[in-house]
Amino acid sequence: MATLVSIYDMPSDVSVVVRKLKSRGFDDLTTYSPAPFEEIEEAEDPNPSGVRLFTLIGGLVGVVTGFGIQLWMSMDWPIKIAGKNIAAIPPMWIIGFELTILFGGILTVIGLVIKAGLYPRKLDEHYSPRFSAEEFGVVVRCEQRDVAEVESLMRGNNAKEVTLAAAH
Amino acid sequence: MAPPPASAIADAMNVPSRPRDSQTNVDIMAVTKGFHWPWLVAFLLAVSGVAMALAALIYQTYEGLGVAGYQAPVFWGVYIITFVFWIGIGHAGTLISAILFLFRAKWRNAINRGAETMTVFAVLTAALFPLIHIGRLWKFYFLLPYPNQRYLWVNFKSPLLWDVFAINTYLTISVLFFIVGLIPDIAIARDRAVGWKKAVYTVIAAGWQGTGKQWKAHSRTVLHLSGIATPLVLSVHSIVSWDFAMSIVPGWHATIFAPYFVAGAIFGGFAMVLVVMIPVRRIFRLERYITDYHFENMSRFILFTSLICGYAYGAEYFIAWYSGVEPEQTSFWQRAFGPYWVSTWCMIIFNVVMPQLLWIKKLRTNIPFLFVLSFFINLGMWFERYVIIITSLSREYVPAAWGLYIPSAVELMVLTGSFCWFSMFFLLFLKMFPIIAITEVKELEIHARDHAHGGAH
Repeated sequence: MATLVSIYDMPSDVSVVVRKLKSRGFDDLTTYSPAPFEEIEEAEDPNPSGVRLFTLIGGLVGVVTGFGIQLWMSMDWPIKIAGKNIAAIPPMWIIGFELTILFGGILTVIGLVIKAGLYPRKLDEHYSPRFSAEEFGVVVRCEQRDVAEVESLMRGNNAKEVTLAAAH
Repeated sequence: MAPPPASAIADAMNVPSRPRDSQTNVDIMAVTKGFHWPWLVAFLLAVSGVAMALAALIYQTYEGLGVAGYQAPVFWGVYIITFVFWIGIGHAGTLISAILFLFRAKWRNAINRGAETMTVFAVLTAALFPLIHIGRLWKFYFLLPYPNQRYLWVNFKSPLLWDVFAINTYLTISVLFFIVGLIPDIAIARDRAVGWKKAVYTVIAAGWQGTGKQWKAHSRTVLHLSGIATPLVLSVHSIVSWDFAMSIVPGWHATIFAPYFVAGAIFGGFAMVLVVMIPVRRIFRLERYITDYHFENMSRFILFTSLICGYAYGAEYFIAWYSGVEPEQTSFWQRAFGPYWVSTWCMIIFNVVMPQLLWIKKLRTNIPFLFVLSFFINLGMWFERYVIIITSLSREYVPAAWGLYIPSAVELMVLTGSFCWFSMFFLLFLKMFPIIAITEVKELEIHARDHAHGGAH
């Protein structure tokens, strides 16, 4: 296996090269970007992000918890207030809504942590501080026999540097 | 024989070239580095103010709430006014970060971090005041539903309890939003730091490398948090307004309170962003990033929300007159011409009359003018809450029970301390983390460059 690291200046070049690489079957690739660019994200993985599922689950857990605790606690200490039912539903919407947001937000961030692998760890071997400046990186792992083709694709799409980082 | 040129020696040594850093990284991270006299003076003043307020609070805790100037019939005073004020201030950050994000208003990118920082510290400041107000600080957990021997649960039909949930939710979501936005910028700091700072940034950056997978999850997280924070921000000040509007106190019992409070919060919040960011821009030379364009847009928001406040003030008086309810009419007459007339007219002049100057385009980009105006707007917004709370409580249904409330020295020290507390955290943040969202600014810059280059945008 070989690993090629290419450096770009423009996000449009990265999205184009990623699409071309994937269309030729070079799927084992990673992009590095100094800022969010939707075109790169879409080129690398067009599927919807899994974070939305976390938000949905959090929101549902929140609304059930919000109404659940109010119903239970109201019934557990039954006291008539202001002529309303002991378990009056309309005022419960407020806390039900707040807990929907609270749980939805917390679960969304947990989704980010899981999906983006956000925990203190050693950085990728080919990561460079250049990628947190203004340059973009595309790292491709391919067979030794494909190195020339991948390199040609990279250089043909404005890669300003292409390095053969590892060959086994 | 002449020595070989230096470049040849360097080539022979095969020294790797140091990658050129982004100018945006350098400019914005420069705020966290070096020594700035204005920063030190402001920080020392802030710490002194916090120490003074702490001394006053210890005195009040020891002596009891009697030292707080409360007397019948006014038992909500400076602490509740200041609580509402700081919660309002905390609204601009979420508005700029979440609502403007959803509207794809890209001009927010240079000011959103400052506004978010302000939001987090403003809400943290606000959250102290209900505890200070209850007097017995150690009983604060009575506010929460917790299992206890008497199976005594909180009253879910009370707006005060709704407020506890709203404020805690808002604080949690604001902090999460803030941290999520910070992570990529902390990775930038990590890549350029050395020593202990690098170790700290490495832990906080949590393995961020800006991979496509990470950006995708990050973008969706920001989108979803914006989506849920938008109704949240509108709900929080609505719920705060219901602390008043759900009662039958004249001057409080109004259906207009929720939109009135939300508009006022955005109005005051934007003014505070200007008060904070104008000196930051000047002292740390950030004129390239925070431009007149940003100030003009914020001025437009201030002008718009000032008009809503003006309408709400007018509508309140109209409804008081039109209702034919005598206590309501008396309460509003007393606001304008009773013992608290100064605060009422300060509120009207600072919040409605003065901001009308922003119709003049030149003034919308006149930075010294905006700073002075924003300062007065903040003063006006504090007075607005003073007027709502104090005049209404002191002039209820029975004239024989009317009273006069004068804030005590202890309350004024705690009030001053709250500004110092907020400033202290904000100043510490300035020296530790980027005050402008670097990656979001770079997103704009690189897109513009790519567009000029002929990229697919």
